Amino acid sequence: MKIAVLLKWVPDLVEELEVDDDGIGIDTDDLKFKLNEFDDHALEEALQIANDGDEVVAIAIDGDGTEKMLYTAIAKGASSGIRLTGGSNSNTANLAAGFATALDGGNYDLILTGVQSVDDLDGQLGPILAANMGLPCVSVVSSLNVSGGVATVTKEYSGGIVAEFEVDLPAVLGIQAARETPRYAPVSKIRQVQQSTDLAEKSVSGSSTSGTIITAMSEPETGGGAKMLDDVEDLIEILKGLGVS
Amino acid sequence: MFSEQERMVFIGLVVICGALAWPGFYNMFKIIRKGGEVNRFDNIIKRFLTATIDVLLQKPIFKTRPFVSILHAFIFFGFSFYLLVNVSDLLEAFVEGWTTIDRGPIFGTFNLLADLFSVLVLVGMISMLYRRFVVKPKAFEFNDNVLLHPKVAKGSIKKDSLFVGIFILLHVGSRWVGTAIRMAEEGHTNAWLPTASLLVPLFSDMSPESLEQAFHITWWIAMGLIVMFIPYFPRSKHIHLMIAPINLALGRNTPVGALDPVIDYSSPGASGILELPWPQLLDPYACIMCTRCHEVCPAHESGTSLSPSALEINKRYLMNESGSSLAAGEDIQLLDSAISSDAVWSCTTCNACVSICPVGNEPMQDIIQMRRSMVFDSNMPDELADTLRSLDEQGNSFGESNRKRSRWTKPLNIDIKDASKEAVDILWFVGDFASFNQSCTDTTRKVAEVLTAAGVDFGIIKKGEKSAGNDVRRVGEEGLFESLAEQNIEKLAGCEFNRIMTTDPHTFNALKNEYPALGGEYEVVHYSTLLLEMMESGIINLDETLSGNATYHDPCYLGRYNGIYEAPRGVIERCGLSIVEMPRNRDNSLCCGAGGGQIWMNDHDDMTQRPSEMRIEEALSVGVSRFLVACPKDMTMYSDAVKTSGHEGEIIVEDIIDLVYSAMNMQVEKMLPSNVDGVLT
Repeated sequence: MKIAVLLKWVPDLVEELEVDDDGIGIDTDDLKFKLNEFDDHALEEALQIANDGDEVVAIAIDGDGTEKMLYTAIAKGASSGIRLTGGSNSNTANLAAGFATALDGGNYDLILTGVQSVDDLDGQLGPILAANMGLPCVSVVSSLNVSGGVATVTKEYSGGIVAEFEVDLPAVLGIQAARETPRYAPVSKIRQVQQSTDLAEKSVSGSSTSGTIITAMSEPETGGGAKMLDDVEDLIEILKGLGVS
Repeated sequence: MFSEQERMVFIGLVVICGALAWPGFYNMFKIIRKGGEVNRFDNIIKRFLTATIDVLLQKPIFKTRPFVSILHAFIFFGFSFYLLVNVSDLLEAFVEGWTTIDRGPIFGTFNLLADLFSVLVLVGMISMLYRRFVVKPKAFEFNDNVLLHPKVAKGSIKKDSLFVGIFILLHVGSRWVGTAIRMAEEGHTNAWLPTASLLVPLFSDMSPESLEQAFHITWWIAMGLIVMFIPYFPRSKHIHLMIAPINLALGRNTPVGALDPVIDYSSPGASGILELPWPQLLDPYACIMCTRCHEVCPAHESGTSLSPSALEINKRYLMNESGSSLAAGEDIQLLDSAISSDAVWSCTTCNACVSICPVGNEPMQDIIQMRRSMVFDSNMPDELADTLRSLDEQGNSFGESNRKRSRWTKPLNIDIKDASKEAVDILWFVGDFASFNQSCTDTTRKVAEVLTAAGVDFGIIKKGEKSAGNDVRRVGEEGLFESLAEQNIEKLAGCEFNRIMTTDPHTFNALKNEYPALGGEYEVVHYSTLLLEMMESGIINLDETLSGNATYHDPCYLGRYNGIYEAPRGVIERCGLSIVEMPRNRDNSLCCGAGGGQIWMNDHDDMTQRPSEMRIEEALSVGVSRFLVACPKDMTMYSDAVKTSGHEGEIIVEDIIDLVYSAMNMQVEKMLPSNVDGVLT
């Protein structure tokens, strides 16, 4: 079995976000990035279901932290890493288009991605990618079993409802949680991988005509604060003052 | 007197027993040779000389259990002298007419010593057997959850003790009685043999023939037994009498706060016994299984599954059991055979087990080697993995943006210099805990205020200081430690300063003892030392002194690791407080339970009481209501412990800087303006 895991570098939210001068994006100058947490789960799940002889390929669009991300994936147990040049991660549709060209012809049985990311809270990457490639897709997957070319997956719905699907492979799955906490990759192992492994490189065209276009970005408006009232009469007075009768 | 036959039998016995003993000794040698390479052969003469003196003075044994140590000294001196006695006894059998009785003062003295030592050995041994089998001290017991080799679980140590005890009693007792029989044969007692002479009347009505026979029996019991015991030696803990002095001589002579470097980065640490550095393979043979180490282990005392003693004992039983295969290079996994995973992650790396060990064993070092291997295989508690990820991504264990590192300075109305921008006398390496932990930042600010008031030219690295990595290294994440250290060393290379000061003993240890190997050599000073220095030289003048009693807790990485015991005490006393010591103080201090990465891990399920809570109770037992610390982690640990142990209102936890601050009668308004030009000389 050949499994692709798509990895994405996202802003680390422990840092404070600022809108850039153009007003349509985040100022990335001082920003720290990290691997999307859900992608880490996708990778862990791939490593968990992979048996001897199976291949787990970590794939990411080229950028600042891509090398570290891919070497880390290999240190955790992935078989290889592919860096995609020429792709764009400016929006999810572009990203999906890039991934689709990279995956095309790769004979992957499973394509795993994190269900969502801080810059894709709707979790569009999986579905758009699947649509591009003409493959079935299930998102919010919390358990996964593969047997005889069919994946049995559990999808979580809101309100605690869970559904079980059988999906013919190849398929795209958006992973919500791996069966085990994503493993830690020791720094010395990452360093070793860095010295002993070459990342594959693949050129992709990552433009898509569709997708979201950001027209403006701003920080949420902060409220004017709250005033604690001692008694309900005060509230009535205020409401009267506001013209409520 | 000894027939040719008897002599032949004895020689035959020596040959047979020697042959039987050989594989045991040979395997032992081969196994130790297979261990990881470290150099312990420098200054070899000095090493053995020091060890010999220490052993002769019984110094390492008297660190604790004074009464048992006296008993041990009886047996030790007796047995040592018995080497001569055995030679004399051999001569008696093989040299016609050899005797030591009635041969002048030199032989007389020899006899007197042999006589007295015989009694001392018998007294020592009987008392020790009585202690083990009748008194049954709790210290010999392991917590129920400690992983034990099946033989140990079935009481094999007791059997070994009994066997060795009886051997010693028979060997020495028989020789002692034999001397009395000798005197009975000659028909009179001897002043040089006062105690054996007391036995002479017992044999007064025996015929000369029976006496001769009886003497031969005692000789054979004494001498034959020791020969027959030789093959048992390499299997018994009693071999400590040979290996312990060697182990002491070949012990670590580098700072205890600097861990051994990783030998093979593609497989760091040890998963199998043979992957341990070779001195740690010598340890189990040196171990006499006295369990002093787990008696002082905070993890064992708090009910977890860790017993450093069980680790050495299990290693030894595995080495006995699979001696030949180990000697042939077939390794045995340590995990789940010598120690459980939970126990590996229970160690606080407080070094108490190493420091107390009378034979120079280092069980804690085994645990760190195992952690290195486990971390390399991503095998660790989830919460530890989270912290390591934060340390890798943000450079601190709190998962905070590292840009918030100097945020603690904001409430201060003093301007602290940025040591990465301008030259300072003292570069204060603040460290994670003092920077980020909410319950520590008040203390951190007080340090800044006191330094400013004292006119110290100091600064901090406002951007780019990372965790020093002391405990990162101790959880076994060697690569991350190196990465953090390299970043700090690079940052420090761009700063101009004379000395580095830290308040955190963990940070202090890493900077002082571990950074030099990575190219960072600095003069590092703990704030307690700096404060005392300034008090002594009059730079800090106390407006008013405090009064009353207080106790002081020695942090592991300040005390046991770096030998700084007096500076904080000096500061406290100069502030006017009298120190009431807790029973466990200085090198015998009890760890707060935070070290070695424990502060990043959840409490262990079977923990009965936290070490920090025991410590607060220990402080209350000496009747103090002030608990003084000199470590930011201690501030957190003990403030919490006071609450969780239900002693709020009975005792308060204060940092030594709190005292200085009060004694300097400082208030924020009185603070000097910024840019004080004072250079500490």
